[in-house]
Amino acid sequence: MSGAKASEKAPSTNWILQHPTYQQMKELNVGESEQIHAAFLVYMDLTEVRRWKEVSCVKSLDLQVVLLEAREKDGSPVHTVLPLPVHQSLCHQSIRQVLDRGFPMLLCAVASDSTLVYQRMTDGLVTPDPPVGPFEDAGRRQHRKRRHHR
Amino acid sequence: MEAPPCSQVEELQQEQEHGSSLVVGLSLCDSAPLLWRFQDLKTVRSNSLVGALLGSLPRTPRQNIRLGRPLLLMPEEERVLREHHGAAALSAWNQDAAGAAELRQRYEEEQQRSLEEQSILALEDRKLALLRAMTSSSGSESGAGSDEALQCRLLALEQNFSFPRSALAVQLSTARAGLSHCQEACAFLEADRPIREQDSPRRDARYQVFRDLWGRGFFLTSAGKFGGDFLVYPGDPLRFHAHFIAVCLTLDESICMLDVLSVARLGSNVKKTVLLCSPAPDGSVHYTSLQWSGMM
Repeated sequence: MSGAKASEKAPSTNWILQHPTYQQMKELNVGESEQIHAAFLVYMDLTEVRRWKEVSCVKSLDLQVVLLEAREKDGSPVHTVLPLPVHQSLCHQSIRQVLDRGFPMLLCAVASDSTLVYQRMTDGLVTPDPPVGPFEDAGRRQHRKRRHHR
Repeated sequence: MEAPPCSQVEELQQEQEHGSSLVVGLSLCDSAPLLWRFQDLKTVRSNSLVGALLGSLPRTPRQNIRLGRPLLLMPEEERVLREHHGAAALSAWNQDAAGAAELRQRYEEEQQRSLEEQSILALEDRKLALLRAMTSSSGSESGAGSDEALQCRLLALEQNFSFPRSALAVQLSTARAGLSHCQEACAFLEADRPIREQDSPRRDARYQVFRDLWGRGFFLTSAGKFGGDFLVYPGDPLRFHAHFIAVCLTLDESICMLDVLSVARLGSNVKKTVLLCSPAPDGSVHYTSLQWSGMM
């Protein structure tokens, strides 16, 4: 029917491609558009969702990727964020190169459904947090449990 | 009779970092390095090498929680022992037929002696029991008549008593070390191909990392359960939980992001930090700690 046809709009252009930050990232000329797309999603997450401050994008010459720099709050230290599509692979050397920038590093894995997972990466041996108390001696209770289940 | 594939290798150890001078006797079963002697196990443990116990305990065989000797060393542990001051290999200890026969004869003699001892003791027990039974049943009676009857019965018992071999209580010797007397067991353990992985960059990386962490005083065990190469303990594993899961790779080895995510997630679930470890060209080792960010 003509009415239905009339209401069909022309397909709208992709808002991401038109976003100034995306275009900024493209101009960095790192090559892989997938990584740029991942970087853009992380950018949006940091700025709009988590409200981090001073989020900017940088080109990494060694790795040929877009890196992000941001602070969690005013006055907190600058973090380097490496956004990567989840199916891509990387080597320990590249991680070391990002760590060599001297800032605390976050690796962000971007899935095909745009799910984001952040990993903290630190140079050296970081002792894990100890388990939280209070601690109960399981002892007899465990034994009693087992007998009950029989 | 063929000589078993096991051989004795004595190694001289002078652990400068750990401050004690010691000798460890390594038994190679095909390519698996085993320690049998109790003193050797104590020695390696005091030098922060853990290994893995393989044997079953004679008194509690049907469980896996507490195992006994021998101690199997990881390839890295064996290599560290060898490199840490020269291995002097003694000539292989061949057990010939005469040796085995002698052991067997000694065993038979011991069994016979034990049988004789036990039958004497059993007879004594029976006599006492008989005595008790007779004096209690004929409590009030006393006199030469009952005494004579008692003597008769005791004599009859002694003449007719026999201690069957099936009633013999056998002592299991747990002090004996090695499989020298079990030819069939040795043959069973002999593998068709070497048990260890072939030389590879990954294997070398593992060793460099092991040596570095061990040199810093950590205790390391294998981390198969956690999908890593080593579990790193700040002290003896019996006293501490592991702090780290060490994943060893070369600097230019490619790893999939999904693998990084899965090992990091596992690490956070078990409260351990995942360590990416790579030996650097200058001989040091680069460590990167992987932690769950906690950013929801």
